[in-house]
Amino acid sequence: MQDHAAAISHSGDLGRVLARRERRFAAALLAPAFVALLATTTFPLLFLIGTSTFRMDLAMPFADGFVGLENYRTLLADDRFWSSLLISLVYTASTVVLQVALGLALALLVMDMKRGQGWFRVIAILPVVLSPAVVGMIWRTFMLAPEFGIVDYLAINAGLGSKNWLGDPTLAMVSVIIIHTWQWTPFAFMVLLASLASLPEDIYEAARLDRASAWQRFRRITLPLLRPAIVMVVIMRTMVALTAFAAIFTVTGGGPGTATEILNLYAYRKSFTELSIGYGSALAVALLVVTILISGVLFALRRAK
Amino acid sequence: MIVRRIRLVAVLAITLLFLLAWVFPIVWSVLNSLKTDSDVLAYPPKLFFTPTLEPYRDVLFGSASILPNLVSSFVIAIGTTVITMLMAVPAAYALARLRFRGKKFAGFYVLATQMLPPVGIIIPYFLILRNIGWIDTYQGIILIYLSFSLPFAIWLLVSYFEDIPFEMEEAAYLDGASRMKTLWRIIIPQVRGGIAVTVVFVFLNAWNEFLFAVVLSGNTVRPVTVAMFNFISVEQTLWAKLAAVSVLAMLPVVILGIVAQKNIVKGLTVGAVKGGGRR
Repeated sequence: MQDHAAAISHSGDLGRVLARRERRFAAALLAPAFVALLATTTFPLLFLIGTSTFRMDLAMPFADGFVGLENYRTLLADDRFWSSLLISLVYTASTVVLQVALGLALALLVMDMKRGQGWFRVIAILPVVLSPAVVGMIWRTFMLAPEFGIVDYLAINAGLGSKNWLGDPTLAMVSVIIIHTWQWTPFAFMVLLASLASLPEDIYEAARLDRASAWQRFRRITLPLLRPAIVMVVIMRTMVALTAFAAIFTVTGGGPGTATEILNLYAYRKSFTELSIGYGSALAVALLVVTILISGVLFALRRAK
Repeated sequence: MIVRRIRLVAVLAITLLFLLAWVFPIVWSVLNSLKTDSDVLAYPPKLFFTPTLEPYRDVLFGSASILPNLVSSFVIAIGTTVITMLMAVPAAYALARLRFRGKKFAGFYVLATQMLPPVGIIIPYFLILRNIGWIDTYQGIILIYLSFSLPFAIWLLVSYFEDIPFEMEEAAYLDGASRMKTLWRIIIPQVRGGIAVTVVFVFLNAWNEFLFAVVLSGNTVRPVTVAMFNFISVEQTLWAKLAAVSVLAMLPVVILGIVAQKNIVKGLTVGAVKGGGRR
């Protein structure tokens, strides 16, 4: 306190003293959160990269040891890795496209409604606040269980016959894609509806006076103005779909066989079901690399005009 | 005129179909949770039946009660929320309002931490927590939950701190108030609304988390999202009870979601404006 008063008396130093005090105050405020973030994200990342260079098998600890890049060499020759990567890409691309297309279509329809918008805003909240684990459980049982589930009941009545929705490899993949799309389309819908509502009205007036058709108005005005919001939704949903876990784990567990095993799930199963922590770590690092590559591409697209 | 009428009906039909698709699985779970075992298994499915609260009585007070799991879920979600807020509010204030070197980098770091897939966090932490005996403990789960709740809370709060006018703080400094006092007495009351919204979302995300919970839970600490699996097995599924548990797991987040309705878009897209981020 003493030298603080002394410093202030030198009026020229005042600015510098205040700046230093502001820095110290900022450091004190940031310290707890940054220590926690370092401990729960950066530190595990380094640890993960470390374990990915070890043979570490909880079932056979006697064979553990440093193996260098061995796990990564195995990975590159591992068919199950490549197939899980392909499944990840199919799952991500299809769920994101479906969410954005359906969400945008619905937002455009609801935007024109004179009454009842409030209903959509409330109901759209329901799926997105639920735990993906609960959503998965509900779909697995009450919606998709053979004969008992409503979807199967509808399929039987539509003359398609009872289907093994989660037991057939192709249908299982379709099912997990539908479940993810069901839960997250409301997200795209809400974000796009909000940005539609913020678009300037007078541009549309002008377009109407120029007798632009509805399709022209959509292509030439709405879509370009919505582009930032659409790109944002695509980026956010891609990141989530790549690391989707609960809704697949609870519904199919990655099966039948490995039909719905996205890379994220493969890393989990390898580590915690087959107990090969070292190789599982290498798979997790691979997932991180894929995530960074894909988000790099998406951010480049966002900047490009 | 007729074309227009047809279009209107088509639009109405499509939008109603969407509404129905979103509501139905949830409503159907609620209906099934109010059925007797024979009503649940009836074919064709019964829309009208005599409701019973028996499934709820069974799952709450029966032999395999999920009350302890609900308690686990609440302890984890509340613990995560409290600790997250204590750390995130000061950090967000500093990032939004103070001048210091490396500020841009600090903000970027908070966003970048979210690139790390959760499975990459849980593998090392499983090994570490096992060594120090923290598997199946509240402190273990809450610690790991900070990895996703902190970046989220910091970025959401920054957006609220940025909205307050600078003049308020300057006036307080000129009156001779210390920085801490200004933050506590002048700034925090201004962002009360933002803090409430953040609390809702942090609680919601902690309640819903599954991957970390499934790896770290045991007989002592097992949140309801994991305990649900007790009602479904290869031999048999306890349909009505499973429905009751699902409804109990949904109830708190649905209530919070509707309470936070107006802020939900902001909560869901936090951080996105600045760069990346995800829920």
